[in-house]
Amino acid sequence: MAFLAVYILEAHPSDVWQMESNIKDKVVLASPKDYEERSLVAGACVRKLGIKFPAVIDGFENSTEKAYTGWPDRIYLIDAKGRVAYKSRPGPFGFRPQELRSALEHLQETKSSQLMHEENPLASFSATERQR
Amino acid sequence: MRKFLVPFLIVLLVAYALFAAFVWKAMRQPPEAFARVMARMPGPVVFLLLPFETLWTHARAGNLQAGDPAPDFSLMKLDKSETVQLSSLTARQPVVLVFGSYT
Repeated sequence: MAFLAVYILEAHPSDVWQMESNIKDKVVLASPKDYEERSLVAGACVRKLGIKFPAVIDGFENSTEKAYTGWPDRIYLIDAKGRVAYKSRPGPFGFRPQELRSALEHLQETKSSQLMHEENPLASFSATERQR
Repeated sequence: MRKFLVPFLIVLLVAYALFAAFVWKAMRQPPEAFARVMARMPGPVVFLLLPFETLWTHARAGNLQAGDPAPDFSLMKLDKSETVQLSSLTARQPVVLVFGSYT
């Protein structure tokens, strides 16, 4: 299980859409002008919020954000076949770690029942066929 | 006075519908454009007058659905040590992606 933060374009840069709550929290930043600036802001974010898992930074053309409609925030679970297993509703309302937790548990259950069938090919056979 | 009530309500309804259409269109714009529209809105009027969350959920539904292949990407890590390719990660294990920013 890997966690990856994808740092995207700012939600409330001071020069576009400043939020009162951000002023109170002293998070007042203008939109980064280039990838380097975004990197610096991302670094500050990860340190200040104490994010322990790895983070990557979206290219300045925002191609990953566009592909995943990730702005302002969003959670995805991608399974080990590279398919979308869970897609949260768009943030901020849709950003719900509890939903991710359920999705992870569901993925775990699907995986174990698959393993059970793989280990015992007869598990899916009917009782009469097994007796034959 | 009463004969003005129905036309007045109709005007109100049309104004509301136009406002909702305007906000919906803004929500479908790229984030920077949407943010600029929202920044100009007086106070919490948008949240009080419209079913904002419902509109937002639909406007930002995106093209991906559960079961679709996750679009691959190759992005540089924050510490600049290496690039991470999503498909290389998912080849070995499930991956949780958390999109966000500081502000």
